[in-house]
Amino acid sequence: MNQGIDLQGSFVNALVDLGISPGAASALWLPLPMVVILIGATVSIFVTVWLERKISAAAQQRIGPEFAGPLGTLQAAADGIKLIFKEDITPAKADPILFTLGPAIVVIPVFLSYLIVPFGQNLVITDLGVGIFLWIALSSIAPIGLLMSGYSSNNKYSLLGGLRAAAQSISYEIPMALAVLAVVLMSNSLSTIDIVNQQSGYGILGWNIWRQPAGFLIFWIAALAECERLPFDLPEAEEELVAGYQTEYTGMKFGLFYVGSYVNLVLSALIVSILYLGGWESPISVSWLASLIGVSETTPWLQVITASLGIMMTLFKAYALVFIAVLLRWTMPRIRIDQLLDFGWKFLLPVALVNLLLTAALKLAFPVAFGG
Amino acid sequence: MTLAEGVQLVAFGILTAMTLGGALGVVLLDNIVYSAFLLGGVFTSMAGLYILLNAGFVAAAQVLVYVGAVNVLILFGIMLVNKEQEFTPIKQAWVGKVATGGVCVGLFALLTASVLNTPWAISAEVPTGEMATVVIGIHFFTDYLLPFELASVLLLIALIGAIVLARREFIPDVAPGEPASEALQLPERPRELVSSVPGSEPGR
Amino acid sequence: MLGFLKQVGDYAKESLQAAKYIGQGLSVTFDHMSRRPITVQYPYEKLIPSERFRGRIHFEFDKCISCEVCVRVCPINLPVVDWDFDKTTKKKNLKHYSIDFGVCIFCGNCVEYCPTNCLSMTEEYELASYDRHELNYDNVALGRLPYKVTQDPMVTPLRELAYLPKGVMDPHDLPPNARRAGQMPQEILEAAQKAAPKETKTES
Repeated sequence: MNQGIDLQGSFVNALVDLGISPGAASALWLPLPMVVILIGATVSIFVTVWLERKISAAAQQRIGPEFAGPLGTLQAAADGIKLIFKEDITPAKADPILFTLGPAIVVIPVFLSYLIVPFGQNLVITDLGVGIFLWIALSSIAPIGLLMSGYSSNNKYSLLGGLRAAAQSISYEIPMALAVLAVVLMSNSLSTIDIVNQQSGYGILGWNIWRQPAGFLIFWIAALAECERLPFDLPEAEEELVAGYQTEYTGMKFGLFYVGSYVNLVLSALIVSILYLGGWESPISVSWLASLIGVSETTPWLQVITASLGIMMTLFKAYALVFIAVLLRWTMPRIRIDQLLDFGWKFLLPVALVNLLLTAALKLAFPVAFGG
Repeated sequence: MTLAEGVQLVAFGILTAMTLGGALGVVLLDNIVYSAFLLGGVFTSMAGLYILLNAGFVAAAQVLVYVGAVNVLILFGIMLVNKEQEFTPIKQAWVGKVATGGVCVGLFALLTASVLNTPWAISAEVPTGEMATVVIGIHFFTDYLLPFELASVLLLIALIGAIVLARREFIPDVAPGEPASEALQLPERPRELVSSVPGSEPGR
Repeated sequence: MLGFLKQVGDYAKESLQAAKYIGQGLSVTFDHMSRRPITVQYPYEKLIPSERFRGRIHFEFDKCISCEVCVRVCPINLPVVDWDFDKTTKKKNLKHYSIDFGVCIFCGNCVEYCPTNCLSMTEEYELASYDRHELNYDNVALGRLPYKVTQDPMVTPLRELAYLPKGVMDPHDLPPNARRAGQMPQEILEAAQKAAPKETKTES
């Protein structure tokens, strides 16, 4: 198996050559990927907000942000600076501790989930054995923060919004986990790296979307519901609930919800691209092309090209999904809460179960195509 | 002491403090919502302890099941049940308190005894680590099959019980074959429609 | 068994149909993305108000005879007419006149009924101010010449949709004297006047 570019090994080796002990070199390496991913995730907010505004504008025949920076790219930064300098108000009868803790609990798991998002064979913070399961576990923490902020705002709209958000994310977690389980069944591993490797080798034909079309749809719908994107944004439905659990929030506490929702959207898109769209794999397998022109896989320049192409492919797939999410936002009307729960429990859950059983049966019948 | 050991020690200290402090808070705080949220904190720090024990899968399962499901359900229960009751002081409440205290002290003594009597030798076995998922799965379907299935039956019973409790009996508006009762109709006299015969229309 | 299968089949068919409709909706949204923006870049471009636009009211102090018809026809008696009676000339002498545009609904009744045409509608609509009392215009403010979009060198005036040539949707980059769709009012009038003599002949 092609090991890909090994940045950690090169970094440690370089420092050891400079006369630093291997342990210290590894310790110096540790924070680097985390910082890079953290910055990347934060930048992705700006990109996503800009895309959201521009695509929305295009879909409505508007121009969108135009004057803040070239093509309005700095609009999100302007919004962020505004939110930072806004007065931080805690309502008089609110519970100040829970009110402050709520947004943090919503945001932290989302950023933590970036631990397992791979951008290449070795371009990941940690290759955990529990991989994708960690993401499911972490995303189940968010409802606690939502309930916390909904309860502590001391506002009926907030409480209802928080309860709705928690109910929604609990209901849609189950079909999502079942869809993931079908993928895991094929790759025989929970690790995100193994899941991508199982799809590699055949270019676009090897991606899981061909073997799991139903699972892909279920996962994408459930992911949209988890992110509270528009067809499922009823926790903050402004016609009924003002702004749901965000009603009483201002300043950076509101900003945290905002950041959380966009990072979550990007994260979900990344996970979908990893699970179903072959992660960092290009539509035409790079290693196959390389063997065609007779270049060894361990050639340094090829490794650099593969790694950067992998990062670009992952991001491209994720942002294509974000584009679809934004387009869906202006296409679909918001559904009612009873329709939401009916859809989750009476449609997605049975379909996901059938999909899981079918996958298991196909795996037994055709172990070649479905990961024996 | 290497860096890893130091980190482990500090993390253990913090997690233990969080677990113990959170657990005390769950029991001692007056506000039940605080107790529920602190319970979530206790579960999370227990997951952290599992990670320290190289049991990543169990830690993730702990977060998913206890924090993500059980604790959220407890919170739902607290927030949706809004029954205010008068506080009536019970006579001889001290009996209960003393009994609880006795039970607690007894439990504590029992646990202390067992902690002191267990030989805490660190086993030489290599921790399974990443392969834990596979090992757990094998155990579930071989030697622990009965407890596993019993637990699922228990969950099924709870599920059906919840459905029975939550399900409202279906009350049809009108029983089939029975004419609609007049009790629900408005006490208005039925109006004669204006006849459509030509010549009888007003204004001609 | 067959009934159940039919149910499942119908359900699947409905789901497919729903998916089809979502796809149709998505294609509509996607199609809109390739169209040009139809927005007016407001502070730099402004639409030319139509002829009957009811904007800020213009008032000519010297024409006013203080008859207070405007006050009587106003739905809320808004115009304030301050006059006193000059006994020597036996005429009303107007001292102040004011309209509060924070309260005015721009219905145009005062303009309609003014016997001396001292009130008129302008095409000025940018009335924003920092204090609502600044909207209370006195006779000096009311007498100012209105701002015209076409006379502002900083602004690109754009025609409204009804004033564009036939088939044109985009008001940008029109040839300067492009004729609008349909007949001009004066042409309609001319045609009517030509046709009128004939009609009177036939009727008499």
